Amino acid sequence: MKTQEEIFNTLKKIMSEMFELAADDIVPNANLKDDLDIDSIDAVDLMVRLRDITGKRINPEDFKNARTIQDVVDTVYRINAA
Amino acid sequence: MLERINYYWRLFGTGLSFFVFGAAGVLFWGMLFPLFERFLGTGIEKKRRSRFLMNRVFRIYMNFMRSIGILDYEVHGAERLDAAGRLIVANHPCLLDIVFLISHIKNATCIVKPALIANPFMRIPINAMGYIYAEDPEVVMNHCVEELREGGSLIVFPEGTRTTPGKPIKFQRGAAAIALRAGAKILPITIDCSPTTLTKQEKWYQIPQKKFTLSLHVGDDIELSPIPEDAERSIETRRVTRQLENYFIEQLARHGKF
Repeated sequence: MKTQEEIFNTLKKIMSEMFELAADDIVPNANLKDDLDIDSIDAVDLMVRLRDITGKRINPEDFKNARTIQDVVDTVYRINAA
Repeated sequence: MLERINYYWRLFGTGLSFFVFGAAGVLFWGMLFPLFERFLGTGIEKKRRSRFLMNRVFRIYMNFMRSIGILDYEVHGAERLDAAGRLIVANHPCLLDIVFLISHIKNATCIVKPALIANPFMRIPINAMGYIYAEDPEVVMNHCVEELREGGSLIVFPEGTRTTPGKPIKFQRGAAAIALRAGAKILPITIDCSPTTLTKQEKWYQIPQKKFTLSLHVGDDIELSPIPEDAERSIETRRVTRQLENYFIEQLARHGKF
């Protein structure tokens, strides 16, 4: 999971499994809260899952400003590269 | 004529009740309570005694409003209210719901806005009651779980705000998430306020044409099955939330008069 595209595809897969979402609705500019109905508890669960997958330390603060799927992809990409 | 007089009396009584709430609140919790707080013990014991005191004070307040004729209240299934360690889930038709619930539950706690802590008159009782507040959802969650395991009655309004009359019930998922993590039973309570009043959209002086009646309909415990090993917690939370929504839609169709 190195490129932005790989990260996006992984995210799409785990989010559709975790949150009863149609994979087609998970697009880069989808808003987490308004379009996908992701709440703060979901965000914590998602973070735990991303931590397992990447093996990197991921903190809640990293996602504090994430509003869209693309924001999450960017954040994971940045943490992965670090 | 008599109707007119009654209307203005209730208008005055409503204003008086708001005033008494604020004034007595500041006097009792802000000034008197700190004087005898130390005699209530420490830890869980102090928390329980403080909550019981709040329960009595709110009961007196409810009875005051009933005696001056601005409202009436009834409770169906009161014997189920004080079971320990229940997550109490209720709909939220009016401003008085939390007062009404606490006035009938001896060891009640709830989640409050962190902003309330800035007010010293609120901070003293909130800390004494052990009401839950935090910005971080994980911290709130952990406090809720701990409270339920200690045997407290945790009241949650999953709509997140007061119900808009006539609009379908839509729950946030926090309540289901708390119950699942704590392994707690859910005690559902349907609140009816008729005629509707003190909603989010109304000012206090927009009183109903007649005295309103608040009713609590205490349901039966909802026991959640433990989450299977391979299941996603987030999926279970969604399932339980739908289950709760359906319960309340059904109950409101039965008890609600709108």
